[in-house]
Amino acid sequence: MGYPARLLVLTTLLLASLAQADSLKPGDKVPDFTLPANKGLAQSLHEATGSPVMLIWLGECYDCPESIVRYQILAESQKIEGLKGWFVWSSENPDNKPPKMRLPMLMFSPELNNAWLFEERPAVMLISPDGHLDHLILGDLAENYQEVETTLMRWLSDTRDGYLVE
Amino acid sequence: MKYFVALFLLFSLSVHAEEAGREGAGDGDAAIREEVLTVKEAVLELNKDLYALERELLSPATARASFHLSLNYGKFFTPMSLTLSVDGKVQIQHLYTEQQFRALKMGAVHPLGDLNLSPGKHTVTALVRGVDHLGQDLELNVAQTVTKTSKPLITELLITDKEDLQSARLELKYW
Repeated sequence: MGYPARLLVLTTLLLASLAQADSLKPGDKVPDFTLPANKGLAQSLHEATGSPVMLIWLGECYDCPESIVRYQILAESQKIEGLKGWFVWSSENPDNKPPKMRLPMLMFSPELNNAWLFEERPAVMLISPDGHLDHLILGDLAENYQEVETTLMRWLSDTRDGYLVE
Repeated sequence: MKYFVALFLLFSLSVHAEEAGREGAGDGDAAIREEVLTVKEAVLELNKDLYALERELLSPATARASFHLSLNYGKFFTPMSLTLSVDGKVQIQHLYTEQQFRALKMGAVHPLGDLNLSPGKHTVTALVRGVDHLGQDLELNVAQTVTKTSKPLITELLITDKEDLQSARLELKYW
C-alpha cells in the first residue's frame, strides 16, 4: 500500500477514534487513556480493568472544590466496593489551576500520547469493570449530585451481584 | 500487500467452506473449523513475517537505536514521567503508572522504543521526573553523546539508588 493511501487510512481511523471519544454513549467501550495525576503516578484506564470506575470530567470551574467535594466523599465511601474515583481536569486557561483534592486529579493536555478529552463537560461516567460505559450523566455537577449518588449505588449493587452470579 | 494476501486467504476459505458445506453438515463442520484455525494461524504467521519485513525496510539495522529504562531498587526515587530527546528533538515521552512502577521495581526493563539514527555522533538527553522517598519532586537527567555505527544501537537508561546520598542517579548504558 502506497504512502498516501496508508496516510489516508490512518487519518480516517484517527478521525473515527476521535469521533468515538467525543460521542461516547452508554454501552460503548471507553477508549483507553493514560493521564498524569496531580499527585502520585499516572492513571491508566486499562489498568483499572476489573474495578468499577467513576470518572468525573470537570468543566471550567472556579468554585470546583465546593461543588465536587461531595463527589470525593462519595467515591471514598465506595472504595470498599472496589470503586476507583478520578477527576479529570482540563482548562484552556493556563492560569486556571486544578483544585486540590484527595482523589487523583488527572490532568489532560493535548500533547499527551494516549489521552482524549470528553467534550461535553462537566460529566460523570460510570465505567464497568470490563471497560464499558454503563452510565453517563451530563450537566452541572452540583445539580446532578443526587442523581449520580442514586445511580452509583444501584449500579455498584448490580455490578457486584453480576460478578457474584458469574 | 498483506491486506490483499489476507483477503485472498479469506476468500479461498469462504469458497472452500461453501464446497465443504455441500458435502455434509456433520463431518463438514469439524473440518471447516479445523480449516479456519489453520488459515487463521497462517494469516497470523504471514502478518508477523510481513511486520518483520516492514520493520526491516523502515528501520534497517544500520539506523536502528533502541532505548530501554530500568530501575535498580527504586528505594529513593519513583519515576513518574520520562522525556527522551535526541539532538535536541523530543523523541519519546512516557508516563509511568503504579503497575509499571511495581514491575520496574521487580526488575522489569521497559522498552521505550526504537528510533532511526544515522551513523555518527548524537546527543541523547533524558529527563525523568518523579518523587524521592520523602515525597519531594525530583528530576534526574542525563546528557550524553553516543556514537551510532552501522550496527544497531541498544541503550538502557538505568536509575540507581545512591545510598550514601539518600538519592538516585540516572545513567545511560550500552548493551
